[in-house]
Amino acid sequence: MKTLALLATILTGAILLYGTADFAPWGDPESPPNRHLSTYYIEQAVKETHVPNLVTALLGDYRGYDTMFELVVIYCAGMGVIAVLRRSDS
Amino acid sequence: MESMLGVVVAKYNYWLYVVLMMIGFYAMIGKRNLVKKLLGMNIFQTAIILFFVSMGAKRGGGIPILDKEAALAGAVKVAEVVNPLPHVLMLTAIVVSVSVTGVALAVLQRIYKEYGTLEEDEILDKIGRS
Repeated sequence: MKTLALLATILTGAILLYGTADFAPWGDPESPPNRHLSTYYIEQAVKETHVPNLVTALLGDYRGYDTMFELVVIYCAGMGVIAVLRRSDS
Repeated sequence: MESMLGVVVAKYNYWLYVVLMMIGFYAMIGKRNLVKKLLGMNIFQTAIILFFVSMGAKRGGGIPILDKEAALAGAVKVAEVVNPLPHVLMLTAIVVSVSVTGVALAVLQRIYKEYGTLEEDEILDKIGRS
């Protein structure tokens, strides 16, 4: 059981390490994640939202609904905890 | 030899995250204690969060808080500010991870009240007997 788990772990790790060969180098400004969408945000976010902190501008303005409905996630988690831990009378 | 060192310098952060992720993975599938499984899942999530944040890094990039006047004048160089998008996405992931951990701990507490143990094989024995 433990050897099987260790084997699966090593196999998955080897596949993932092989997959890192295709990644862009660390800190490369021209890497694909840094080239497409985020350049628009860095150039335009302050003009459009007047928030100097880009993370806040993205979180609260462009992704406002996402952030708002994260409250639903927290709420559901809270309801789940209450439902599981509530003392039953029976 | 020189290019070998270059590969190590360019990729060692990803290798570290793979190692961290595999520690969490092994804890999830190899351990019998349910709390250790939960800790493994948290380590796994942390590895993914670190991976995403490191994808947004730029060599020589500053924090993504801009000078407002310079930004309004359009004088911001994209290469000098790190990518803020992975940071925002990982804030969302942290919220989900906290919720999942909370619910899982509540379920574990309930399991402990019901069976008096958190060891997986002992619980399976008790389910099999009744």
